Amino acid sequence: MRFRLLRGDVILKILLAAAALFVIGVVVGLAVELFLGSAPSLFKFGPSFLVESKWQPSNNVFGAWPFIYGTLVTSAIAIVIGFPISLGIAVFITEKLKSHLTFGYLLGTLVDLLAAVPSVIYGLWGVFVLIPIIRDYVERPLSKSLSYIPLFSGHPFGYDFLTAGVILAIMVIPTMSAVTRDVLSVVPNSQREAMYSLGATDWEATQKSVLPYARSGIFGAFILGLGRAFGETMAVTMVIGNIPSVSSSLFSPGATLSSIIANQFGESSGVFQGALIELGLILFFVAVLINGLARLLLWRMTRATHAKA
Amino acid sequence: MKTTYVIIAAIVVIAIIIGGVFAYISLSSSTTSSNNATPTPSPSPSPTASATATPTATPKPTTTVSPTSTVTPTFTPTPTASPTLVPTITPATLNGGGGTLVAPLMSVWQGAYGSVEPQITVNYNAEGSGAGITDFKNQVVNFGESDAPMTTAQYAALPSGTTALTIPISASAVVPAYNLKLLNGTVCQNGLNFTGAVLANIFLGTVTTWNDASIQALQSPAVAAQLPNTPIITVHRSDGSGTMFAFSNFLSDSNSQFKTTIGESTTPNWVTTSGGTIAAPKNAGVAAAISGNNGAIGPLEIAYILENTGQTSIYYGTVENAAGNFILANVTNIAAALSAGASTGLPAGSASWTSVSIVDNIFSNTSATTVYPIATLTYALVYQNQTPSSITNAASAAALVNFLQWVVSPAGQSLGSGLGYVPLPANVVAVDTASIDTITYNGGAPIV
Repeated sequence: MRFRLLRGDVILKILLAAAALFVIGVVVGLAVELFLGSAPSLFKFGPSFLVESKWQPSNNVFGAWPFIYGTLVTSAIAIVIGFPISLGIAVFITEKLKSHLTFGYLLGTLVDLLAAVPSVIYGLWGVFVLIPIIRDYVERPLSKSLSYIPLFSGHPFGYDFLTAGVILAIMVIPTMSAVTRDVLSVVPNSQREAMYSLGATDWEATQKSVLPYARSGIFGAFILGLGRAFGETMAVTMVIGNIPSVSSSLFSPGATLSSIIANQFGESSGVFQGALIELGLILFFVAVLINGLARLLLWRMTRATHAKA
Repeated sequence: MKTTYVIIAAIVVIAIIIGGVFAYISLSSSTTSSNNATPTPSPSPSPTASATATPTATPKPTTTVSPTSTVTPTFTPTPTASPTLVPTITPATLNGGGGTLVAPLMSVWQGAYGSVEPQITVNYNAEGSGAGITDFKNQVVNFGESDAPMTTAQYAALPSGTTALTIPISASAVVPAYNLKLLNGTVCQNGLNFTGAVLANIFLGTVTTWNDASIQALQSPAVAAQLPNTPIITVHRSDGSGTMFAFSNFLSDSNSQFKTTIGESTTPNWVTTSGGTIAAPKNAGVAAAISGNNGAIGPLEIAYILENTGQTSIYYGTVENAAGNFILANVTNIAAALSAGASTGLPAGSASWTSVSIVDNIFSNTSATTVYPIATLTYALVYQNQTPSSITNAASAAALVNFLQWVVSPAGQSLGSGLGYVPLPANVVAVDTASIDTITYNGGAPIV
C-alpha cells in the first residue's frame, strides 16, 4: 500500500488535484484580499455605500450607485444590440452556409478575430470614428425628434452610455456568436431531418427544432457575453465620459465599476482607495452571482430536456 | 481510501506552495539587513566605461569623496555647464515610481543618464502620484515621485524615524485649451483671454455659452463680436492628476465658490455643466474630447500641446496674472513664474512641503508682471538617510545622489525644454542641491 502510493499514477493525480485546488486558492485569496483592502470604506459607510449616489474623493464622500447603474445600463445596451446579431451570425453560418463550408469557416474566423483585437484599440476607434458617427447620425436626430422621451433627452456629444453600449456590443459579439455557433453545430441532423420530412421550410426547421434544442447553450452564450460586458474596462473608459452620474438619458455621460477603478486607483490612498477596492469587491460578487445564476438555470434546463427525452 | 490520501497530499502541496510564497514575501519585504548588509563591491570589468571612476576604487564610495564634488548652487540653467557629480564606482539599480506628468521626461533622462553613468540603471514606473507616494512610504522604491506635495496625513504615515526629502525635479504649466468655431466660420486660434474667475464660472456651470458677457468683456472688440452662442462643453481628466491639482488650485484661489463646491485636489469634485461635461483619461483623452467637440474647453498640460504642435486642432488661451496682464504660456514666462514663486521662500527639503504651491505664491504677486499664473512643480521623494534594505545599499545610495545631482543640473534640465518641460530656475535648484547634499547612507556622513 505504502509503495503503491508512490506510483506515477498517484503522483500525477496529486499534481492534477493540486492544480485544480490552486484555482480555488486563487479565487478565495482574491475575495479575501478584496475584502481586506476594502475594509476602510466597508466599515465606514456600511450598506449605504451601495445606494449613495455621490462620489467626491476630495470630500471623502463615496457611493457605488452611479457605477453600478452605469455598468447595468451599458451591459444592457450591449446585450440588446449584440445578442440578436450574434444569434443571426451563428444561425447564418451553421444553417444557411452548410453547402458553402469554406465561406462559413472564413466568416466564422473573421468574427472570432474581433475577439483578438485589444480593447484599447476599440477605445481608440470609438473615440475617433464611432463617437462622431453616433453623435451626428444617431444621437442628434433622435434628440431633435424624440427629446420628450427621457431616454433621448439632453444635449448629445457622443461620450455617453449609448456609445459605450455600442462599443461593448461589438466586443461581446465574437464571444456570443462563437459559443452559439458551436452549440448549433452539434444539434443532431436528425432534428432538422425530422422537420424537413414534415414539410417544414429551412426557417421553420431552425425556429421550431434547432433553436429550442440548443436554447440552454444559447443561454450560456448570452451569459458569457454579459460577463464580458460587465468587466470590460479600457474601451468603455475611453468613450463613456467618466462622470459619476445617474441619468435616465442614454445621451448622458456615465461611469462603470471597472472604469472608475482604472481611472482613479493610481492617485488614491486611504478611504478613497478602500472605496475603489470595494467597487472591485462588488464587481467580483456580481460576476460570481451572474455566473452562479446562469449555471443554475442551465442545469435546470438541461435536466428538463433530458427528462423530456 | 485512496482518494483521501490524494486530497490530503494535495492540500499539503498547496499549503507548502502558499506558505512558501508568503514566507518569501514577508522575509524579503520586512527586515533584509541580514542578506544585504554588505554592499556588493564587484569591481567594474571595464573601468574606462565610467568617466568618473577613480583608480583607487574601494567598496565604500561614501568615504572617498573629494570636497570639490559638490554642485555649485548658483549656476544658471545653461546646457553648456557640466556638473561634477558624486563618483559612483559600483553598478547599481535605482527604482522609482510616481506621477505620469514627468514620465516622458523621465524616459529621456533614462537614456541620456545611461550614457553618462553606464553603471547605473534607472527604472521608472509611471504609476501615478498617489501610487508613487504609497510605494515611497512602503520603501519599495529608491525614489518616489509626485505632482503634488505630500499631505500632512501622508507625512504622518511615513515610517517612524525617517525624514523625507521633497526635491522639485521639473515643472510644467496648465493651459485652458479649447476648440471653437467662430461666427465667421474659422476656428478660434491661440490667445482667447481668460481670467481665473471666468474659468471658475465656466467649470461651475454659471457661464454656459461662448458669447457670455463675462467672456466677451475680456476680448478685443473684434474677437468679442465673433464669439458664437455655442454651449460650452467642459472637459476634465477622469483620472487623478497633478494637472488637475494645479488647475483647481488656481481656480480655487480665484473663486471662493469654486473652492467650496469643486475644491482643489488631484481629483476635484467636478460638476456637470448644462452644455455638457466629459471626463477623459490622461492628457491625450482630454485632447481628443476637446478636438472632437465644437465649443469644448478643458485644462491641458502645456507639454502635451507643445509636443503635438501642428497635429491637433486644439488651441489655448491666455490667463490673466496678478498684475492684470493676459499671458500666453511659454517656457520663458513659466520659468519666470517658478522663479517668482520660489523667491518668497521654499522650505528646506526635509521640512513639510504640504502647503507649497507656486500658484498660491504668485497669485497676488502684482510685481511679477510677466509670469504665467498656472505653473506647477513636480517632486522626487527620497529618504534623507538611506537605510540598507533589499533595494538600498551603499552603491544605490551613491547612485541616487549622483542621479539627482545630474537631474537638477543643466545637463538634465535642458533635456526637458524640447518636450515642454520648463528648466528649474536657479533659486529652486539651490534648494534642491542643499537637500541632496544632506543624503546619508546608513546613518553615516553625507554622501556628497
